[in-house]
Amino acid sequence: MKAVVSFLVVAAIVAVSVFGFTKGAQADEIKMVGVITKIEIEGASAKTATATLKDNKTEQLVVITVNDDLTLDKFKDHRIVEGDEIRCKYEVIDGKNISRFFRKTAGC
Amino acid sequence: MKKRTAAAAMFTVAILATAAYAAHPGADYIKENGYKGPETCEECHPGKAKAFLDTVHWKHASKVTNVDGLDPKKEYGMQNRIYVMCNGNDIVNNLKEIPKNPETGKTKFSGCNTCHPGDHLNDVGSKGAEAEKAIDCLVCHSTAYDFRKRKPMKDDKGRVVMGQDRSKEAALAIGKPTAKNCMVCHEAAGGGVIVKRGFSFTKETDAHAAKGMVCVDCHKAKDHKIPTGTDPNNWANDGVRLSCADVSCHGASPHKDADLNRHTAKVACQTCHIPRTGGAFAKDFTVWAQNPDKFYEPTTLKLEANESSPVYAWYNGTVANTPHFIGPKGSKKDGKSKIYPFKIFQGKAFYNKKTGELLSMDFAPPMANGNTRAGVESAARTLGMKNPEQVAKEAVPGWQTIYFASSHLVTKTRALSCANCHAPNGVLNFKELGYSDKEVVKLTSPELFFNKVAAKMKEDW
Ligand code: HEC
Ligand code: HEC
Ligand code: HEC
Ligand code: HEC
Ligand code: HEC
Ligand code: HEC
Repeated sequence: MKAVVSFLVVAAIVAVSVFGFTKGAQADEIKMVGVITKIEIEGASAKTATATLKDNKTEQLVVITVNDDLTLDKFKDHRIVEGDEIRCKYEVIDGKNISRFFRKTAGC
Repeated sequence: MKKRTAAAAMFTVAILATAAYAAHPGADYIKENGYKGPETCEECHPGKAKAFLDTVHWKHASKVTNVDGLDPKKEYGMQNRIYVMCNGNDIVNNLKEIPKNPETGKTKFSGCNTCHPGDHLNDVGSKGAEAEKAIDCLVCHSTAYDFRKRKPMKDDKGRVVMGQDRSKEAALAIGKPTAKNCMVCHEAAGGGVIVKRGFSFTKETDAHAAKGMVCVDCHKAKDHKIPTGTDPNNWANDGVRLSCADVSCHGASPHKDADLNRHTAKVACQTCHIPRTGGAFAKDFTVWAQNPDKFYEPTTLKLEANESSPVYAWYNGTVANTPHFIGPKGSKKDGKSKIYPFKIFQGKAFYNKKTGELLSMDFAPPMANGNTRAGVESAARTLGMKNPEQVAKEAVPGWQTIYFASSHLVTKTRALSCANCHAPNGVLNFKELGYSDKEVVKLTSPELFFNKVAAKMKEDW
């Protein structure tokens, strides 16, 4: 019983921090979920890549620039491929959509 | 001390250099003869494949001695467990082609077993020469694995198989497993990235990753028996354990500060050094939501690594296990427990109306058409239960709470210090942990740390 009560407290804290997170520092980030239609990356040493996502809500194609090493590595060894559904957050900088968060929605 | 550090640094450089420059001694042989699967490796590493079949990574099960209510003669693990992080398991939710979606007429492959280094024909726990040949050695040992090949498909006989990269290129890039090799499966366990255990292993999130360490620097394996700790929800084990306080790692008195060392008798290292957690905290298996591709999925509430607070409890290594709760046993008084941090997770699933037992689910039916009770019925039938139809029809939704260990996301700079615990608004609820009112007054008084923290303040500024 005690365990349940203390979990409620945790849940409350979690809820607060979730809202805090979205309203606060992340204000200019755009969120989307979409399926990859194209990945463009040049070679094994590439430091940047673009992925085109088809937005699930609007069906628009959005070109995302990916610069983080972990995601680039997943493009290179094909752990992330065309057809995968992605949860993405990005920021618009100098006209480019720079990825801040790029994750497959699925897992096992 | 200095000398030892310097020597250690040189040693590390030497190891890194070897890893980077000295190719695997088997490379020439493989270049000449190609890679035919484990039998190629067995030319020089005899017995490895056979021994591998006897590990948790192949069987997804082992005998379990520290959990309530289990039969000591039987084996338990992801193969057959019924709990709510994954409401299916390798048996009831076997990898297969799901029924056609009624709106699109499309199907897809789904099921557990994709986190298994076999080919599905030789599945979780299989034995014999064919099983030995089916092991995917390269998924753990190659740095040039092409993951497009590691996916479920149908072979020429129409059977569902799990693909592998058995190319020469991949076999020429052999070494001891990197963090990525392990994270192929461990990162997305439980239904997505950072869901089950809520840990990411990057230089930003883990002090050991920042030092360039990889999983097997701590999880050192002999004969493929990979050591684990005492996570209340990690039941299957290879009979070898590891802990932060192992003499080969830090020992029980790793600090220059005697005040900190005194705490290690009652407070686990993780409690101070893993102050945050993350990942999934709730999931509903009873109602699945439809995706834009028209297939259905259960809904998961989750946070990133380090975005949530752990729950603290006494833990002596034995585990309470009931249909509504899996978690640590222990108390302030038993003399064997320490205070540990846990990642809490709650899942909603169906219970047997007659027995109150938690039921499991085959994901294929609900994934195709959202009918979760059909998933319960299919699982009940696979398990040979009486009247599967009725079991499913009457099944009652309910919640199970699970305490997961929090064993990674280690920090030194953000480790909890005196006032994080000994102030009245500290992270530990001393009263709930079983301290008397008198003890609580003492434990929440600045008297305990005032002079020390004042001295540190002077030093720092
Ligand atoms: C022609 C012989 C030969 C073949 C074939 C061979 N190896 Fe090796 N391997 C060696 C030798 C020699 C060593 C170094 C001594 C040792 O660790 O046993 C080694 C070392 C290793 C190591 C330890 C590497 C390290 O950095 O610690 C791994 C892992 C390994 N081999 C895996 C494999 C796998 C997987 C295959 C099959 C794809 C394979 N080997 C095929 C000869 C071979
Ligand atoms: C092919 C997928 C896969 C890969 C690759 C993999 N694991 Fe696992 N691992 C699993 C699964 C599934 C379990 C859960 C088994 C169970 O509980 O029944 C597991 C369990 C474990 C456990 C706890 C049980 C035990 O064996 O003691 C540890 C520790 C572990 N893995 C570490 C590692 C490390 C380190 C690596 C990299 C060398 C690795 N794993 C690679 C799938 C994988
Ligand atoms: C689940 C991941 C996994 C799979 C699959 C796997 N290994 Fe390993 N292997 C390891 C780990 C972990 C080590 C120990 C690394 C360490 O402690 O430095 C290891 C070590 C080795 C070594 C070095 C000698 C030793 O025993 O420590 C050899 C050789 C080896 N493996 C061969 C193989 C072969 C051959 C296969 C396929 C039959 C295979 N491995 C499949 C994880 C795996
Ligand atoms: C700095 C050492 C260290 C490194 C590096 C490390 N682990 Fe662990 N891991 C531990 C310890 C210690 C435990 C057990 C803690 C306990 O129960 O007391 C553990 C536990 C686990 C468990 C059991 C479940 C749990 O969370 O307790 C799994 C699975 C696991 N580790 C996988 C991994 C993988 C995969 C990696 C690499 C990405 C990794 N570990 C890197 C030290 C390490
Ligand atoms: C009561 C809280 C607490 C506990 C329990 C605790 N630590 Fe620490 N530890 C700290 C703090 C705070 C620091 C940082 C001290 C500093 O910055 O000088 C630290 C520092 C360290 C360091 C770095 C030492 C150095 O000189 O840089 C190591 C290694 C370490 N701890 C390991 C452990 C291990 C292993 C355990 C369990 C046996 C443990 N700690 C238990 C609070 C704790
Ligand atoms: C993770 C929380 C935590 C941190 C951080 C922590 N403590 Fe404690 N401390 C405890 C707990 C729990 C006990 C009671 C242990 C027991 O039951 O014996 C305790 C006991 C003590 C006691 C003994 C009190 C008595 O009963 O006489 C002293 C003194 C103390 N701590 C000082 C410190 C100082 C100084 C620091 C900072 C260097 C510190 N603590 C950091 C949790 C913490």
